[in-house]
Amino acid sequence: MLLSDRVTGVGVATLGAFAVYGGLQQPGVPGQDVGPSVFPTVIGLGLLLCGALVALGVGRGFEAPAEAAGAEGPNTVHPSPPRFGELRALLPPVLLVFYVLAVDRLGFLLTAGLIALALSLALGARPRLALPIAVLAPPFIHIVFNGLLRVPLPEGLLAAPW
Amino acid sequence: MKDILEGFALVAQFDVLLAILASAVYGLVVGSLPGLSATMATALLVPVTFYLSPIAAVATIITASAMAIFSGDIPGCLLRIPGTPASAAYTDEAYAMTRKGQAELALGTGLWFSALGGIAGTLSLVVMAPLLAELALNFSSFEYFWLAALGLMCATLVARSSPVKAIASMLGGLLVSCVGMENPAGAPRFVFGITDLLGGIEPLPALVGVFAVSEVMRAMAAAEPPPLPRRRFGPIMAGQWELTKRYQKPMWRGNVVGIIIGVLPGAGADMAAWVSYAMSKRFSKEPEKFGTGHPEGLVEAGASNNASLASGWVPSLLFGVPGDTITAIAIGVLYMKGLNPGPTLFTERASSMYALYIIFALANIIMIPLGIVMIRLAAGVLRAPRAAVMPVVLLLCAIGSYATGNNLFSVLLVAGFGVLGYGMERCGYPVAALVLGIVMGSMFEQTFVTSLIKSDGSILPFFERPVSAVLAAITLGALLWPLGVWAWRRFARSSGSRKARQLVG
Repeated sequence: MLLSDRVTGVGVATLGAFAVYGGLQQPGVPGQDVGPSVFPTVIGLGLLLCGALVALGVGRGFEAPAEAAGAEGPNTVHPSPPRFGELRALLPPVLLVFYVLAVDRLGFLLTAGLIALALSLALGARPRLALPIAVLAPPFIHIVFNGLLRVPLPEGLLAAPW
Repeated sequence: MKDILEGFALVAQFDVLLAILASAVYGLVVGSLPGLSATMATALLVPVTFYLSPIAAVATIITASAMAIFSGDIPGCLLRIPGTPASAAYTDEAYAMTRKGQAELALGTGLWFSALGGIAGTLSLVVMAPLLAELALNFSSFEYFWLAALGLMCATLVARSSPVKAIASMLGGLLVSCVGMENPAGAPRFVFGITDLLGGIEPLPALVGVFAVSEVMRAMAAAEPPPLPRRRFGPIMAGQWELTKRYQKPMWRGNVVGIIIGVLPGAGADMAAWVSYAMSKRFSKEPEKFGTGHPEGLVEAGASNNASLASGWVPSLLFGVPGDTITAIAIGVLYMKGLNPGPTLFTERASSMYALYIIFALANIIMIPLGIVMIRLAAGVLRAPRAAVMPVVLLLCAIGSYATGNNLFSVLLVAGFGVLGYGMERCGYPVAALVLGIVMGSMFEQTFVTSLIKSDGSILPFFERPVSAVLAAITLGALLWPLGVWAWRRFARSSGSRKARQLVG
């Protein structure tokens, strides 16, 4: 478990409070009681209640145990997860943000190649595997999406030869 | 009759057949890769459907999801890692058979009974949908409100996690759907001055982020699964006919349970498999053999999850209420292609409906030969290292979400939802409930507000019409169900300890 129930429960309740506040700020519809504020307010109240219940530990008995003891087969060696697991997990979304920032300037082929290379190396691939992936995957995707499906992909520094 | 022939003509076009074949191969490969679920396979397919004809688009979704649900059994059987959540219920059983040297039998059982279940589900769709369409023509906003509410509640029950957290996830999804201008007053709501948010948050970036990006993130944080030992398979379909004759009753029970669970809005293949496996064990003549590599549970649950897939389309096509996460995606595609869900689909676009039935039947028939080929190739596909698969998946996430609106903002949304999905899963909040909340949010709000306006703000009319009263009762039952389970457990435990004390005394 990444964060304790108490922390996430308080988070959910805070979200609910914001939803109620935001909902009540909505302008009404003239001549009518029911407007755009009803739905967010109701949801916000629900979130407040759920958050409080989670923080108090209600419903914990229903959660399936994360990994039941003895669930692993006798022959499987359980390898230890890589170090800095939680931080490493943030690499994919960071790479997506990089894509948004760079794709117009560098172009699709270069950006996608860099992303593939970075992710592949981070997953423990040797350059012998990572380089071909970085070189072959972007043109393949380019052919399917730009060639067949006509999605406009930016050319940037390196235009596709087809 | 004319409509049926037109349906055949619609399917028999070259682009449709090609789409079926290509998406079948795609579904088989993606479904078999551990961690890449059937829902994710379907979500990544949506951008492609933008560029296809309506029937071809729906065909890709139907075929890819059916194939992926079956091929999720393959890594479960060979590696003890379920390829899709719907296979998780019987992964241990299938793996136990592999260790007994019956890998062929286990995989063949998965394939054969998946196809039979899929065909049974298709028949139920053909029979049930027109009957329910008659009923649905009389539905008002109150009935639709309760249908949506029931779907959302079922989604929280399926989650196998704390019901409170599941409901919180679902409410979070509904809150996401509040963003934008599509609300009763057309006022910009929760947009924080960001122009890109005015149009609201589309379900697709959320789906791709929550199901695909978070999977890539999980791969980063976890160790590489063990490689598959090389093996040669004997005949795969051998012995299936004997199994069919021997376990006829479990098979039919699996089909029927799968169909019923599929029709329930919000509950899909995962739940069907779990319920059917449990039922199979409960009603079996030899329950002690379960868990040791006994095919009976495999027969029942394998049939059940594929049967639920087809019948899950019943609420989607009739009411626009998704039966599970896969049909939630399909509904978006239907709207996009002008096949708006609703009872009139069956009266005005009958030939399209027949085409859809034919595609379902076809997908389940070609599943057998293609599945055999896939099982033979599985050793190769499953040896593909994560470091090669995950970069491609991440690139497809970026490009797929970009393609839906040629807008880079949706790539940022995908990244955001990836982080959210990963964090939620690690803290025990089920993400499927979040997704269904996002997908059904606008419909839910619309029916809720329309009903409230009709009733002048009063709650009573929500329960006055007979069908809405029944739906309301089921929904509230689903809400109170965990409470009942909790009370029952308390009661059983206290009476158990009293008995123990009496024995000691």
